[in-house]
Amino acid sequence: MKTNNLNAGNTNCKDAGLAYAEPGVINKIFLLATLMFSLGLLSSQNALAQRIGQEIMEKVYHNPSGDDMQGDLTMTLINRQGERRVRELRQYIKDDGEVEKRIMFFLSPADVKGTSFMNWSYTDGSDDDQWIYLPALKRIRRISSDGKSDYFMGSDFTYDDLGERHPDEDNHELTGEETIDGRECWVVESTPKESDYMYSKTVTWVMKDNLLGLKREFYDERGRHLKTLQIKDYDQIDGFWTILETEMKNVQREHTTNMKFTNISINQGLADRMFTERSMMQGI
Amino acid sequence: MQNDKKKLKGLAWLTMLSVLILSIWFLSTMIKNARMETNLDEYMPSEHPAFIYSNQAEKWFNIRDGILIAIENRSGIYNPRTLEKIRDITDALEDMEEFDANDVMSLWSADNITGDEWGLDVRSFYTRIPTAPGRLEELRLDVRDNDMVYRRLVSEDETVALIVAGMDSKYFTQEFYREIMDFAHSFESEDEVIYVAGRPIVEGTMALLGPADMKKMVPLVLVVIAVVLFLLLRSYRAAGATLLSVFISSIWAFGLMSVFNVPVYSVSTMIPVMLIAIGVAYGIYFYNHLNRYYLKNPDTSRYEAIRYTLGILWKPLAMAAFTTMIGFISLLTSQVYPIKYFGVFTAFGIFSAFVLALVFLPAAVMLFGYKPREKRSGTGDFLNDSILNVVADNLLKNRVWVYSVVAVVVLVSLFGLQRLWINSSFLDNFEKDSDIVQTDAFVNSKFGGTSALNVILESESADAFKQPEYLHLMDTMQKETEKLAEVGNSFSLADYLKRMNKVMNEDRDEYYTIPSGSDMVAQYLLLYEMSGDPENLLKVVNYDYNRTNVTFQLKGDDSKTINEALSVIKGFEDQFAEHGIEINYAGSGYKALVFTSLILEGQILSIGITLILVLILLSLMFRSIKAGLIGAVPISITALISFGVMGLLNIPLSTTTALLSSIAIGIGIDYAIHFIQNYRMNISKSGSRQDALHVTMGQTGKAILFNAVVVIAGFLVLLFSVFPPNRTLGALVSMNMFTSLLGTLTIMMILIYTFRVFANRQGETVKK
Repeated sequence: MKTNNLNAGNTNCKDAGLAYAEPGVINKIFLLATLMFSLGLLSSQNALAQRIGQEIMEKVYHNPSGDDMQGDLTMTLINRQGERRVRELRQYIKDDGEVEKRIMFFLSPADVKGTSFMNWSYTDGSDDDQWIYLPALKRIRRISSDGKSDYFMGSDFTYDDLGERHPDEDNHELTGEETIDGRECWVVESTPKESDYMYSKTVTWVMKDNLLGLKREFYDERGRHLKTLQIKDYDQIDGFWTILETEMKNVQREHTTNMKFTNISINQGLADRMFTERSMMQGI
Repeated sequence: MQNDKKKLKGLAWLTMLSVLILSIWFLSTMIKNARMETNLDEYMPSEHPAFIYSNQAEKWFNIRDGILIAIENRSGIYNPRTLEKIRDITDALEDMEEFDANDVMSLWSADNITGDEWGLDVRSFYTRIPTAPGRLEELRLDVRDNDMVYRRLVSEDETVALIVAGMDSKYFTQEFYREIMDFAHSFESEDEVIYVAGRPIVEGTMALLGPADMKKMVPLVLVVIAVVLFLLLRSYRAAGATLLSVFISSIWAFGLMSVFNVPVYSVSTMIPVMLIAIGVAYGIYFYNHLNRYYLKNPDTSRYEAIRYTLGILWKPLAMAAFTTMIGFISLLTSQVYPIKYFGVFTAFGIFSAFVLALVFLPAAVMLFGYKPREKRSGTGDFLNDSILNVVADNLLKNRVWVYSVVAVVVLVSLFGLQRLWINSSFLDNFEKDSDIVQTDAFVNSKFGGTSALNVILESESADAFKQPEYLHLMDTMQKETEKLAEVGNSFSLADYLKRMNKVMNEDRDEYYTIPSGSDMVAQYLLLYEMSGDPENLLKVVNYDYNRTNVTFQLKGDDSKTINEALSVIKGFEDQFAEHGIEINYAGSGYKALVFTSLILEGQILSIGITLILVLILLSLMFRSIKAGLIGAVPISITALISFGVMGLLNIPLSTTTALLSSIAIGIGIDYAIHFIQNYRMNISKSGSRQDALHVTMGQTGKAILFNAVVVIAGFLVLLFSVFPPNRTLGALVSMNMFTSLLGTLTIMMILIYTFRVFANRQGETVKK
């Protein structure tokens, strides 16, 4: 089992992709954190808070998911006027540890049915490869782009939000505890080590009992609240904790993206030939 | 007697004290509550359908006015230093609170979507500053190939690059203006010139420059009025008390505004203008009658003189004041709130001036006395009664000539009226050689235009704008409108699709067309969303693809330019309607156009209502329809000439110039009522029309003349203003005063005489 998390949407997968953690590790974090709070040791730049924060985020990151996943995705974009744009897709994802391959077929609306999109993302950090097939044009086109901060299909998720971010890329700090919808959470603040990252900081609410991300706030370069991600539904599928519904709200644009996942199956052994230009044209 | 005098003095002191206390109270609320409203959106009637629609469309498509920063390098922008500056300006603007980071467009922030035989490439034009000549040339060719950027963000001759940042005009303050100017100009060098243009800058500069200039000019106007007033009244006390009463009435008017928490709008500055013109007249009437009584009865007591004056004056003063007030209150019919407020509070100011003339001026005389001006004889006194009488007699003798002149003037004015045009332009308020106009002209010469008109197309059925048929029609509309010299370019969903079609077909020029099927359109749009910046699409089409925004860039913000473009676009309304597509308009330029027309409509309606009211009121007051009809003459003539001359001299109607015709109401009514009332009194005494006319000319005629001279002299000072709208204001106020004067003392006088107003019943036989 790779540590790479392949939950349904891959939405913010590392943190949100729920997996089990060894009880011993959780207990250790619990103990340390409880000690820290009870002794009133919590303050900024607190080395202990940083160490616990780091540990929590690593735990979240190293959640086992699956090697492949397939399922249906309903993506709803809601703009400031409350107008909705609903798209249904079937998606297949496979990760061999080096490349994460993803192929998506549009099911609706009718006028884009058959359009397919393939994305190969490399663990070594090189640029993603992307292809698009437009049935009206009957041609496949490669898309090359220089922006990781590009939004994914007009949604409020950037490609980066969808991918995994290694915990070593940020400095973490446990800043408090909160209960959201009856779930007790750690609150961890993460600040990027690189200076020109698109977010100046993120704050993640991690559920205590299963070390799963429940909510995350994103702050823009100017330090203003930009987006909030919320996991609305999750369940265990084929033995893996999987997100079933997630919502990203951009508070500055007043724009929301809701993703709902259905018919999910994990580790069914998707073949590599699934992820080729040929299958893009053939459709599902 | 002694006791009575004491009582009267006490009453006078009490009056003074009440006026003082009331003024202090109003002043203190003013200090506490008064705020200047500079956000032009607050002026717009937000419940008017055109504004409701435009405001909504602005939200739908994030339509905002932009600040344009142009950087010019005569030897071309494709050099490392200029490219670096484009980057730095863009990044800095994105970081400023006033701008939306997603809404700063430049060569640096733009995406370049290109295609070749294998794929589609979405990237920035440059991410690192290119230095190698080869790379610079490559960038140059990239830009040339991209219609979304070439001629939009980089000029055709490649010497100017544009950075456009959308902003809300509410953020515009004096400090921000300085900040952005300093910021932009800090990038200037020997090789590079920076220009800052755009509607927020023009609007902001105007909001700052107009009142600043007025602050300098108003004291001068007041000094001149004071001096001329003194020269005419020959009494410090009279001139001082008159000016003071004008001043107090202004304070009361503005004070009441503060009490009701009504902000001070730019049109509110017209309130004191009206009050000066009208208030000065009240003072002059009062002191003229007082003076006359003193001269006739040199040994009279103050009390007697005041009693006489008030006895003569209160009735015409009350009639004039109340009719004028009704005239201004009729502005309530306007759909524009600042105009409603202007009408109501001017009316209150007039009421105050009226009350002050009846209590404050007498109290001042009671307490401080009055020294009558010497009746000087000889030719030196141009205001000698006999001269006025000679003039009157001559006019009466040459009635035919006067009628002919009036007829000619009316005809010429009617002709001028045809040429009258409304201008909602902000830019036209500045000198042609001013920095702001020059900058604007420069940016317009290099790019599509500094002003914008948004055309919103709407269909009931979802996905309408995926239909190639409609997109073609949209494209044709754009092409037709772009043929106009003042329309620089346009931008719509059709442009995105043409670009996508080209890119997906190996960048071949023959594919720069609307895609052939609606599925293809849908798939291109999906592709653009996935690869480009989806925010861009939100600016042109809604989520249901049944509402779309076409932006036209115009080289001028004046109404002629906007109307020209509108007339071409409206030519397509029927064709769109056939497909169930409705056309509407949005944007600040369009709103300003509608706004100005609304003001004009309100103004004309108000003049119409006033004319009818005056007709009715004068007919009732004087129990003579004839008197009513004749009394309406000065108002009509003043308003007609005012608009006619503006048409002839090509002075467009704008918010302020349209309001100036209110002077026709205020002064026209005043003059007519005083003259007619005085004449009626005189004719009932003497019985002779000619004698009555002579006396009236000497009394009211003179007072009217004084009033006109004082106000004209004062407002002519504004001709030396550096702000063109203030110069126009000065000229038009002076002209309106002058035509009111002439209308009353020539044609109205002749008509009163000729049509034997009040003369029939008394008969002329009494005299002899």
